[in-house]
Amino acid sequence: MSASKVKMRDRKMKNQPASVQYSSPSAAAGSSSQNGRQEAKDSGWQRNPPPRTGWVRGYQRDGGGGYMTEMPKYITAGAFARSRAAEVKAMLKAVTKRTGSNHVFQALPKHMRRRAMSHNTKRLPRRLRDVASKMREKSLQAGSKKKKELAKSKSRKARRRHGNLLLEFNRRQRKNIWLETHIWHAKRFHMVKKWGYCLGDRPTCKCYRPCYRAMSSHCLLLDISYYCCIELRGEEDTLLTALSQLTSKETGPTFAAALCLSGCRQGSVTVYRAGQYPSHPLGPVTFLWRPRAEGSASRQLWIWAHPALKQDLLPELQRVCECFEAVVPPVIPVATPAESASTLESEPKPEVSPKAKVTPGGKRKRSRVDAGGPPAKKILGDGTRSPDTPVTWKSSSSGIVINDLTMEMVRYRLVGPQSHSVLTETLEAATDCDEAGQSQASSLWWPQHCRDERKMNLHQQQAEVFNTLKGIYSSGEVPPGTVLGLTVDDPRLTLPAKKVKAMPSVNQSQEADEEKRRQLMLQGVPQLCSQSCLWEQSVRDNVTENKISEQELNRMRSELLVPGSRLSPTPLQGRIPILLVHQPGKQVGNDMSSWGAGWDLLLPKGWGMAFWVPLVYRGVRIAGLHMSLKRSQNQGAPHFPHDYPDCPAGIRFQEEQEAELLDKFKRRPPAKRTNYIKHGCLAPFRCPWQQLVEEWELLTRQRGDGQARSTTKPKEEEMTPQPDHAGTKPQSGFTVVRSRKSLRLLSAWCKLPTSRGQRPGRGGGAPPLQQSAADAFLASHRMSVAWVRLSLLSKGKPELHAMVCAPTPEDLKLLGKRDAGTCPQEPPHRDDFKSKTRRRKKSSKTGAGPLQSSDYPGTEASEPSVDAEPDLVLGVWPDPLPSITSHCSRVTLGWVTEGDFSLSAGCGEALGFVSVAGLLNTLLSQPEEHRGKVLLRNPSSLHYRFAQINIEV
Amino acid sequence: MTEARHAGMSSAPTPLPHSESGSPAAEMDPVEYTLRKRLPRKLPKRRNDVYVNMKTDFRAQLARCQKLLDGGGHREICVHGLGLAINRAINIALQLQAGSQGALQLAANTSTVELVDDLEPEDPDESGEPMTRTRNNSAIHIKVFYPEP
Repeated sequence: MSASKVKMRDRKMKNQPASVQYSSPSAAAGSSSQNGRQEAKDSGWQRNPPPRTGWVRGYQRDGGGGYMTEMPKYITAGAFARSRAAEVKAMLKAVTKRTGSNHVFQALPKHMRRRAMSHNTKRLPRRLRDVASKMREKSLQAGSKKKKELAKSKSRKARRRHGNLLLEFNRRQRKNIWLETHIWHAKRFHMVKKWGYCLGDRPTCKCYRPCYRAMSSHCLLLDISYYCCIELRGEEDTLLTALSQLTSKETGPTFAAALCLSGCRQGSVTVYRAGQYPSHPLGPVTFLWRPRAEGSASRQLWIWAHPALKQDLLPELQRVCECFEAVVPPVIPVATPAESASTLESEPKPEVSPKAKVTPGGKRKRSRVDAGGPPAKKILGDGTRSPDTPVTWKSSSSGIVINDLTMEMVRYRLVGPQSHSVLTETLEAATDCDEAGQSQASSLWWPQHCRDERKMNLHQQQAEVFNTLKGIYSSGEVPPGTVLGLTVDDPRLTLPAKKVKAMPSVNQSQEADEEKRRQLMLQGVPQLCSQSCLWEQSVRDNVTENKISEQELNRMRSELLVPGSRLSPTPLQGRIPILLVHQPGKQVGNDMSSWGAGWDLLLPKGWGMAFWVPLVYRGVRIAGLHMSLKRSQNQGAPHFPHDYPDCPAGIRFQEEQEAELLDKFKRRPPAKRTNYIKHGCLAPFRCPWQQLVEEWELLTRQRGDGQARSTTKPKEEEMTPQPDHAGTKPQSGFTVVRSRKSLRLLSAWCKLPTSRGQRPGRGGGAPPLQQSAADAFLASHRMSVAWVRLSLLSKGKPELHAMVCAPTPEDLKLLGKRDAGTCPQEPPHRDDFKSKTRRRKKSSKTGAGPLQSSDYPGTEASEPSVDAEPDLVLGVWPDPLPSITSHCSRVTLGWVTEGDFSLSAGCGEALGFVSVAGLLNTLLSQPEEHRGKVLLRNPSSLHYRFAQINIEV
Repeated sequence: MTEARHAGMSSAPTPLPHSESGSPAAEMDPVEYTLRKRLPRKLPKRRNDVYVNMKTDFRAQLARCQKLLDGGGHREICVHGLGLAINRAINIALQLQAGSQGALQLAANTSTVELVDDLEPEDPDESGEPMTRTRNNSAIHIKVFYPEP
C-alpha cells in the first residue's frame, strides 16, 4: 500500500473510536479474553503486530481460516454486554461527529445542496438553519479577531493626516538618516540605504543621456548633504602641526597651502593615519578654512568627508589633536536666547544609536509659529542618534575643539557650465532691512547684522561679486576652488510660476563690469568676501529656528492684493547665510579640461527644500549616486570608496561589492551562469590586489632568469588571500602611488614619445625609460599599484573587473596592421571544478536526503563536506586562487574598477589599477612606437582589446 | 555676421597653442610650477556657428559645414578657428568654396583672444601664491555665404 494511502487512512481514522475498527481475524483470535481486554484498553488490537496493515474490509480468505477456526467456548454475559455497550456508544459518537470540513450543508445529500448555501442560510432546510447560523457567527467572530490585529493600521485618510504622517516619517528615520530632500527623492528615485543614510541612487525615469548632457552643457543638481562635516577650532599653529601628521607634501598641497589657509579657496587632501605615509591611507577629504578674523589667532576649519570615511577619520583626528574629553551636549553654551532646550538636544552625534526612541534628538520646531501645534515635530539633522551622545571633544593641552557637524548643514552640488547661471537666477542677495526693522529689538539675526556698518559693507561687496558672476559664460572660468560667502533672500519668494531654463545672460557690458569680470576670472573672489555668517553656530541655529513655514508663506501670499506678485517687504525671517564653493572640473589630462566644473551650495539645516524646489524650477536635472560616479569617471577623478582599495573604507566597499555580485550571480540558474573558469577569469567579483603585487614582486626578483614567465608560486602566497579581515586593522601591504613626483615620472614613461600633447620642454625633465631608472623607481614602489586611465583603441566596452594584461610582441604586430577586426583571443580554459561540483551536488542529494534537495550547488557550502574546498560555486574559481599573473595566455597587470562607454571621449574608457612592477616590466619590453599599449579583457569574454594607458597628474 | 567677435571658441576642446617660447614661461622653472590652462572664454553660439578644433576628423567638420549650407537652410555660416586650428578653419572654408562651383563667397576676420593660465606651485606651503597669467592668441572668423542675388 502506498504511503499516501496509509496517510489518508490515518487521517480518516484519527477521530474514530478504536473499538469500531475491524480487527484482523488472527488478532481477534489471539486470545479468548479479548473482549475484556478491549474494554480495558481501547487500543488493544494494536498491541499485536498486525500481519497486514492494509485497509482491509470484509472477510479475508487467507489468514488461516477466518472465523471458523476458533470460536469462544463461552461468553460471560456481563462483560460481553458491557463491551457491546461501549461499542455502541462509540459508534453513536462517531456517527454524530463529522470528519473533514465542518460545513453544515455537507450533511445534505448532493441533490439537496444549493449554490451559495454557506452565504445564505435561508437556502438550507429549516432543520439545519440553527446549526448553520451558529457556525456562521462563530466563523465571523474568528475572522473579526484576526482583523482586529490588522486593524492597527488606520484608514489611509487617517494615515495621511499631517501629524500622523510626520510620526510615521520620524519612526522611519530612526534607523537611517533622511536627507531633507528625502520625500522629494523617494517619489522620483530608486532609493538605497548606504552608510546609514537613505540616498537616491538613480531616477526612475530614463535619463542617463539627458543627465550627461546636463553635466556637459547645462547643470546637474546633486544633494550631497550626506557628506560629513567635522569642525576644528583652535590656534592656527597648533592645528597645523596636528594636522600635518595626517598628510604628506609629496601628494600635493596640504592643509597648510597658503591659498587655502587664507580661506578663499577650498582645498583637498588625502589623509593618512598619523605619521604613516605612504602606508595606511584613510581617504580623500576637502577642507575649508574660515577667513581670519582680525585680532584673533583662533581659526576655524571644516573638514568634509565621505560618511564611509568618517568612522576612521574622527578617531584619527581626535588622536592627533589630543581631544579626548567629550563635552556633554547640554554644556554647550547656547548663544541665542531664542533657542530653547530643544536646541541642546539637537546637537549632532557621531555614533548611530537606535536607542533614541521616544524623543529622538534633533527634533526641532520648524518655526515658532506652530509651537503650539501637534506634538510631532519634523526631524532636522540627524534623527538616529540619542541626544546625549557627545558631538564635541576638546583638549585641555592644545586647546583644540573638535565638533561633529554631521547633518548640521545642507550641501547641494551643481555640476555643469551653467551652474552659476542657475545660482544667480535662483538667489538674490539679501535686501537690507529698513530703519523700522533695525530699531526693533528682535531675536532674528539679520536686523542685528544690519546695524553693523562694517558687516553691511562686506555684504555689499559680496553681492557685487555675486552679480558679476552673471557676466561669465561658463563655471569653468572661475579659479578652481573659489569660495564666496553671501546672504540671500528666501528663494521661495522668487519662485517662477513655471519651470524655466536658466540661461546665461552674457552681453557686451560696460567697461567697468568687464574689468570686474576679468578680476574675478584671474584672481577669484577677494579674500574678504569669503567670509560668511554660516560659520557661526548661533546664526545657523537662529536661521533654522525662524524659518517661515510653507503654510505661513502661502497664507501671506494669498493676502497679497495682486495675486502672484512678489511679497514685499520681504519678511525679516527670510535672510539666509550661505557659502558658495567652486568645484573644479576636470583638471588632469589635455582633453575636455574643466569638464564638470560647478558650484557647491552650503546652507544651514532646515532650509533644504526651500532652496531645492527653486533650483529645480530653473531647469536643472537631478541625479543620484549613480551619476556622481559617472561624473568622476568622465572627470578622470577617483571616486571615493570605489577607487581607494587601500583605504579601510575601500576595503569594506570591496567586500560588500563582492558579496553583492556573488549573490546576484548565484541567483541565476546554474545553466544560465557565465562560467568564469572557462573564461580564464580568476576573480570576477573582486580584485585580489595583495596577491597581485606579491606575485609581481616575486617576478621582478626572478627577472634575472630573463622572460617574465611566472613559475608556480610558493605556498605562502596562497596562504595570504587578499580579503583583509574586516573590523581588524587593514593589513593591506600594498599601497596606491599618490606621490606626485612618482606619478609624473610614470606618466612620462607611459606616453608615446610622439604624443601630441607632450610638450618638448616638460618631457625632458624625466629620465628616459631604462632598466636602471625603472629599477631605481621600483626600489621605492615595490608593493604599489598605480591608478591609470585606459582608453580603448578599437571598439569594445570595458566592464567592472576587466583584466588589464600585457600584450605579447605578436599582439603588437597585429596592432600594426590596423585591422580593426583582429584582436587577440584567449583560448578557452577547462573547468576542472565542474565535475567536482556536480558530483558534490549529486552526493549531497542522495546522501542527505530531501533536506538539501532544493539547494543550489552554491549554497552547499554550509553543509559539512568531505571535500577540502569549503566553497564551490559553479563557474567561479574556489578560494585559494592559483597564480594570477600567469593564469591566462597574457600576463595580468591589474584590473578595472570602473569602465563604461565614455560619452565625452566617444570610446570605451576604463579606470583601474595596475601593479607598478608589472607596468614597468611591460613598458620596458615594448618598442617605442607601442609604448603604453595594453590589452583589456572583460571577465565574461575571451576577446582582448587594445587600450592605451594614461596616467594623469 | 557683421560685428567682429572678440572671442570665441566653444563646444569641444579647442586646441591651444602648444608652445609660446617667447612668453614668460621661459623665466619659470618648470619643476616648481605646474601649468594649467583654462578653457578659452566661451560665448553663446548660434546654430550656424562652427567652431573648428584639431581633434575631430577634418572630413567630419567639413561635412558638418556642408550640411548646414545645403540642408540646414542657412544662407551663411561662420567658421571660427583659434591658434593651431586657424589653418584648418581656412582649409574648410576654401574647400567649401571650391565645392560650390563658385556660388559661395568668403569674408575673413581676425581677432585676438585672451587666454588664462594658472600656474600652481609644486610646493605650495613655501612659495605660496599660485599665479595666474594671461596671454593672447590669434583667432580667425570666416563668414561663408551665398551672395544676395
